[in-house]
Amino acid sequence: MTSVRRWCVVALVTVVVVGSPVLLRALPAGDSDLTAPELLALVSESGDRSFSGYVETAGALQIPSADRFDGVGALLGERNRLRVWWRDREAWRVAVMRTAGEVDLVHTAGLTTEYDYEDAEATTTRDPDIRLPRSADLLPPEVARRLLTGVTGADVTRLPARRVAGIAAPGLRLEGARERSSIGRVDLWADPESGLPLRVEVSARGSSAPDFSTGFVEITVATPAAADVEPRLTADVERSFDEVLDIADAVNQYAPIQAPDRAGGLARTSAARGAVGVYGDGLTQVIAIPLRDREADPLREQVRATPGAERVPGGDSVAIGPLGVFLGGDDGEGGWLVAGTVTGPVLVRAGQDLLRDAVFVGER
Amino acid sequence: MIRVELSKLLRSRRTWVTIGLVDALPTLVAVLLALTDLGPRPGTGPAFLSAVMTDGTLFPLAALAIVLPLFLPLVVAITAGEAIAGEAQQGTLRYLLVRPVGRARLLLAKLVSVMAFVALTVVVVGATAYVVGALLLGDEQLTTGATSVSGTSLTTPELVARTLLALAYAMLSMLGVAAIALFLSTVVRSPLAAALGTMGILISSTLLLTLDAADSFRAFLPTRYWLAFVDLFRDPIFWRDLERGVLLQAAYVVVFLAAAWANFATKDITD
Amino acid sequence: MIRTSGLTKRFGSITAVDHVDLDVREGDVYGFLGANGSGKTTTVRMLLGLVLATRGTAELLGRPMPAAAREVLPFVGSLVEGPAAYPQLSGRANLALFDRMGTGGVRATRSTRVGDALDRVGLGGVDGRPVRAYSLGMRQRLGLASALLRAPRLLVLDEPTNGLDPQGIRDIRALLLELNRAGTTVFVSSHLLAEIEQMCTRVGVLHRGRLVLQEQLADLQRPTGRVLLGTPDAERAIALLDGHVEHRDGDRLVVRAADAAELAVRLVGAGVRVAELRPERHTLESVVLEATGAGSDDFSATAAPTGPDRGGRG
Repeated sequence: MTSVRRWCVVALVTVVVVGSPVLLRALPAGDSDLTAPELLALVSESGDRSFSGYVETAGALQIPSADRFDGVGALLGERNRLRVWWRDREAWRVAVMRTAGEVDLVHTAGLTTEYDYEDAEATTTRDPDIRLPRSADLLPPEVARRLLTGVTGADVTRLPARRVAGIAAPGLRLEGARERSSIGRVDLWADPESGLPLRVEVSARGSSAPDFSTGFVEITVATPAAADVEPRLTADVERSFDEVLDIADAVNQYAPIQAPDRAGGLARTSAARGAVGVYGDGLTQVIAIPLRDREADPLREQVRATPGAERVPGGDSVAIGPLGVFLGGDDGEGGWLVAGTVTGPVLVRAGQDLLRDAVFVGER
Repeated sequence: MIRVELSKLLRSRRTWVTIGLVDALPTLVAVLLALTDLGPRPGTGPAFLSAVMTDGTLFPLAALAIVLPLFLPLVVAITAGEAIAGEAQQGTLRYLLVRPVGRARLLLAKLVSVMAFVALTVVVVGATAYVVGALLLGDEQLTTGATSVSGTSLTTPELVARTLLALAYAMLSMLGVAAIALFLSTVVRSPLAAALGTMGILISSTLLLTLDAADSFRAFLPTRYWLAFVDLFRDPIFWRDLERGVLLQAAYVVVFLAAAWANFATKDITD
Repeated sequence: MIRTSGLTKRFGSITAVDHVDLDVREGDVYGFLGANGSGKTTTVRMLLGLVLATRGTAELLGRPMPAAAREVLPFVGSLVEGPAAYPQLSGRANLALFDRMGTGGVRATRSTRVGDALDRVGLGGVDGRPVRAYSLGMRQRLGLASALLRAPRLLVLDEPTNGLDPQGIRDIRALLLELNRAGTTVFVSSHLLAEIEQMCTRVGVLHRGRLVLQEQLADLQRPTGRVLLGTPDAERAIALLDGHVEHRDGDRLVVRAADAAELAVRLVGAGVRVAELRPERHTLESVVLEATGAGSDDFSATAAPTGPDRGGRG
């Protein structure tokens, strides 16, 4: 065999070795004949499905982070690898895998236990009314459920099917549905059998590529064993019970303030009458948290340092992909942190509304 | 020819000196830990090192995590880089080939011998680490088992089985390095150049892995799944990356061994 | 035993070997003579399949090379551009290792074979020191021993006496002639005229990549048709051999004469005293110089130890 022929063999071998996985992934997925409203209905009814699998998320949202909000930054701004076992909304386990560690969330009987391998600590909390996003919120079914609230069959169009976690998943597109939303488009692919959303991609207005995506890489649509969603920590792990989950929960419970009923033209959707307000739903939703100066000041510094940040009447505002962040007040003053998927003007108006309408209720 | 290469490997003093050197670092770490009793905070030091303070029998794992990222690839790159270029430089290559030893067979024998060397190194490191760990750091927890990465408890048989799997996986991860170095060894004249070239590829791969822009071919980088042995200590074991790691290493062996053969089969031996 | 036709090797734009047609017959001691850099080593490498010919073919033991390398090479012992061995092992261990390689010798008789080979090259009494500690001469002997391991039918030796002292050279020459008598064909390359002249039955001369001469040594050394005469009666001899004396140097004359014996009778019959009388023969040196043309004074008739392109890498 001549040298040229041998190198041809090598080239062929390389093409086969490299090409076969690429080709397998590129195989066209057989489409389903579900219409957009039918698929939407199927997805909406999938809320009580059980499943387990492996999810990868990718977010390019470099949100300003300060101490108490680091967890959110990691969830939305980095790649995450999650393993999930989901019996139902009340019994699940989600594990965030890191290269040399893991953070597990186990939810059972109204309590959530977070286990951090690197700290060898387990913290149990009850589920608060209001909290910051956590790893379990990144699962495609959860993201879809949140974004599709209030969406009707008229708002969505069909996308061609796509292979997700080995399933030929028909797609849905939700576009330009809400004028006050900063989200330009939500693309979703769901299992045509169970209706479980398998992959969700969120793009800001005017953005061509998704700013945030989450999708199953492996999924089993079946009820995982009960043992999989029970905390089974060893005796060595240091355990504690915490009254508060995160800063949003803490502020909501203890800050001597009551958030108003409306902000930025959006009605309040959080049930409890606490200090933290959640306004709007679906694609148009904001959370408003009153901060003391020691929490607000470092955050304000971060917001101002973020590219694209601008001074607006009453505070600082910045848009990171579809996520708008507004921090009212000035150094040493404390102020309202308003964050959500609304356009800049709505966000600023909400900030001003909050400043004007919030009620100081004295020590609680 | 494979047996000849193995006997050369075992009789070479350099083999044992290298293994001794590789073994020295984890042993030093164990001695320091035992003397100072200053373990790293969980999650800060090399993987598993914090757990070692209470259970010395876990030390083989920590030793592996110390050795795997840099030492083992370095040693493999040097050994495999030497395979053909070293024989050529020494002048023995031409005498091998006129015995005659088939060129393809020689490449295969060299790869097997390099992998035998890796296995030997890993086994020696694991065994000394076990003995040193048990002697210096104690084995109180031997009966209660250890904590998995997911926080659940592992029984001793589970731990032993998973550790053995991790050792096997670490060895497999070196296959790609060996194949690349072997290929370069047939291309360049100097064994050092082959070893350095291989290290260059590995360093580039590690660097590219951290880059989002390299996302499209991340899965094809040789070091992509090296640390997946950690997944063996999750509960339950997360097989996905381990499986892909094995497939990737197999792909590297196939492609680079084929390239080495294509280059070497009719190469003019003029050294 | 060796037959090449149009064997050519180019390295880039340099033609190292150019249309060489070697013909080595069974039982020959073939001297392959050429200056350093003339392409000898490249030719030897092509014969053994180490370097692939750009054009032309080579046959060893009647089989094409390198296609039939696997069948042919076990019957060929070789030494290519200096010996080589694993420096950390002893000579004995090296031979045992080489013996195991490839088709491999029978294990039961391995140590006997190794011992015999070492004995033959005069290393029988060597201790277990590593090859690293060997002298150049010892390494050369070890290389030869390695070539002899399998009682080859053909020996291809590139500069076999390199680095040996005069005694060593004599030993090796005796060894090769002995092997030849026992039926081994020997192909020796060298840049030393004297060495080839003393040992070989057949000579090929390589000059700048071309084979300029290939003949039986005996044919090359044929009489020139002149007789060298030494006589105290030079004047009388000249008078007697009027016109046939080509040259005179004191008592020594060069006479053109086909038959030396007849000349002797004639001189003695005429009362001319003859101190010395012998037919002049062509020397290898003169033939080679003639074949390679002017400017080829790079052949050395003395036993200079090493050339610049060899010996250093062992």
